[in-house]
Order: sequence, then C-alpha cells, then structure tokens
Amino acid sequence: MSEQTERSFQKQEAVFLNAKTVSKKNNRWYKDIGLGFKTPTEAIEGTYIDKKCPFTGNVSIRGRILSGVVVSTKMKRTIIIRRDYLHFIPKYQRYEKRHKNLAAHLSPAFIGVEAGDSVTVGQCRPLSKTVRFNVIKHQKKVVKGSKQFQKF
Amino acid sequence: MGISRDSRHKRSHTGAKRAQYRKKRKFELGRQAANTKLGAKRIHEVRVRGGNKKFRAMRLDTGTFSWGSEAISRKTRVVAVVYNASNNELVRTNTLVKGAIVQIDATPFRQWYENHYAQILGKKKRLTEEEAAESAANKQRSRHLQRTVAARKGNVEQALDEQFVSGRLYAIISSRPGQSGRCDGYILEGKELDFYVRKIRSKK
Repeated sequence: MSEQTERSFQKQEAVFLNAKTVSKKNNRWYKDIGLGFKTPTEAIEGTYIDKKCPFTGNVSIRGRILSGVVVSTKMKRTIIIRRDYLHFIPKYQRYEKRHKNLAAHLSPAFIGVEAGDSVTVGQCRPLSKTVRFNVIKHQKKVVKGSKQFQKF
Repeated sequence: MGISRDSRHKRSHTGAKRAQYRKKRKFELGRQAANTKLGAKRIHEVRVRGGNKKFRAMRLDTGTFSWGSEAISRKTRVVAVVYNASNNELVRTNTLVKGAIVQIDATPFRQWYENHYAQILGKKKRLTEEEAAESAANKQRSRHLQRTVAARKGNVEQALDEQFVSGRLYAIISSRPGQSGRCDGYILEGKELDFYVRKIRSKK
C-alpha cells in the first residue's frame, strides 16, 4: 500500500498495471534464481518494489556464491558482511586470522536480519560503487541456551 | 571536453586515495548531456564506439505515445513538461528526459476512440459543439461495420476522460531522447496517473 515513498512511481517493470480486463488481484512478477535457492514467501506475497532484488527485480545471480556474518544493517537495503578466513604462513607453518568486509544488497524479502546472523550471498552485476553481491539466503544466529530470556 | 567515466579517480572501498598511474583512455569517455528542449526538431548525429551512431536530440516537439489499455500508439505533439522526479529545474526549462511527465495533444487518440467505439470522449464538450462532435463518432458506416462497432465495449476511466475535455493528456517519456533521438512514451493511467496528478497538484 505505502511502498510509494519516492518521488517517482515505484512499480515492477515486468507488470502492466492498466489492463482493461482485471486478472488476479495482486499482479506480481517474481522469479526462481536457480542453483537450488528457494524464493522466500515474502517475495511472492509482499508488496515491496525493489529493482535490485534477486527475486522480484532485474538482477541475475551468476558467478560466485559466498557466505559470511552480518556486521551492520544501517544502510538502506544493503548490509556489510564479514568473511573470516585463515591465511597460512609457510615459514612458521602456522595460520593467522584475516577478514574481509563485503557490501551486499539486502532485498526487503528478508525481514529481521540483524548483526550476527549468517547470510549467503550471490554475485551479480555491479549495483553501486561497492555492491556486487546480493543476499539470497538468511540463517538467523543460533543462540545456545535459547530457553534463556532474550530481547523480544 | 574532459568528461571521463572511470572509477580510478574515486577513493576505493576502504577509503584509500588511489594514485593516478595512467592517463584517461578513450573507452572511458563521457559526452556532454543533450538537455533536449521543446522546439522544432534538431538532432545531432554522433559517431560512437564501434562505428555505431547515436542520435542526440537537441530539440524535439513530437513523439509516438501509446495508450496502454487500448493497445494503440499515435504520433502526437508534446506540449509541456509538467513534472520531473529528479529535478525541478528540468521542469522549469522544459527539458525532455526519460521519466519526465509531459502533457501531449489528445486529438489523435480522441479521433481513434470515436472512430473505433462510436462514443464521444470528454462529456462536457457535448454541451458546446454538438454537431461537430456528431460527425466523428456518428459518421456513415456500412451495416457490417456498424455491427462490429456496436459489439465493442469502450469504457474509459474517469480521470482519463476528464483530460480529454481539455485536450491534453498526461504521459511519461520512456525513451532516452539524448541517445535515440526520439521522445516516445505512454499515457498515464490508473494508479500511476493518480500518483503523478497528486504530485503535480501538491507542487502548484
């Protein structure tokens, strides 16, 4: 209903809204991104408009599929992911910890993504200066002792 | 001119300032914007990468606009630019760009509608020129044609019908005049029309 927050009319390019014979009520276009990833029900039933969403927008997921832990969700529709890895030093035959941050686009189909959750991202075409990845799966952080009191 | 589209002059993702290690390349070039205005047609041809052509429209006055729900397109005159989501300056200077809301001349669409459905559009006009309107909608037709026309049901939404009274329809430009040299688009209907009419009214 109130997804028209911008100064131009937000709509899906693939959907024609003004046909004379009104077909099924919510005329929404969505796709299966492939590679065995399930498209979330919020993407199919929701009303958001996001041209950079992998399920309801104009981007294709191809190339690398990576995963990481969410560090920050302060940006509009995009998150920072931290990917930890071990780098081997041959001289000492030991490993050292390193990490890289990655900016990924977060579709409104994924609700309740917080810092600490793990996320799977797929490579897509450049969406902005630093964003080349799009979130395609979300697993909430498992809290041990979930019978304990948590913030609601 | 010196417009380049490289990212080597920008800071990297980490914030580091990148040192310049090579000059600007031809494949990174950018050109001046067209800023297509309303006026007698003036189009400059540009030779682009690969030997191909781009048609930079400097001034345009007509375009092909589609009436989506009726699935027809007609060439019409563009009258004025009425709204631009990005920049109010472009509205003031009547600059034609993709996504700009314009007013177009309604006569080709009214003529087609009255011919196709034998119904008069823009009811208020009936009071003033009754006989002139009769001729378009109720011209002589053969009996076979009369039957086919009667079978067609034409109903236009209220908001669109009102625009036909003034002879100006709201449309949005969906082509890129500075790239293709054309100002084509579609007539606004339904939710989109309500949205933009509200925006235009709130600005006035």
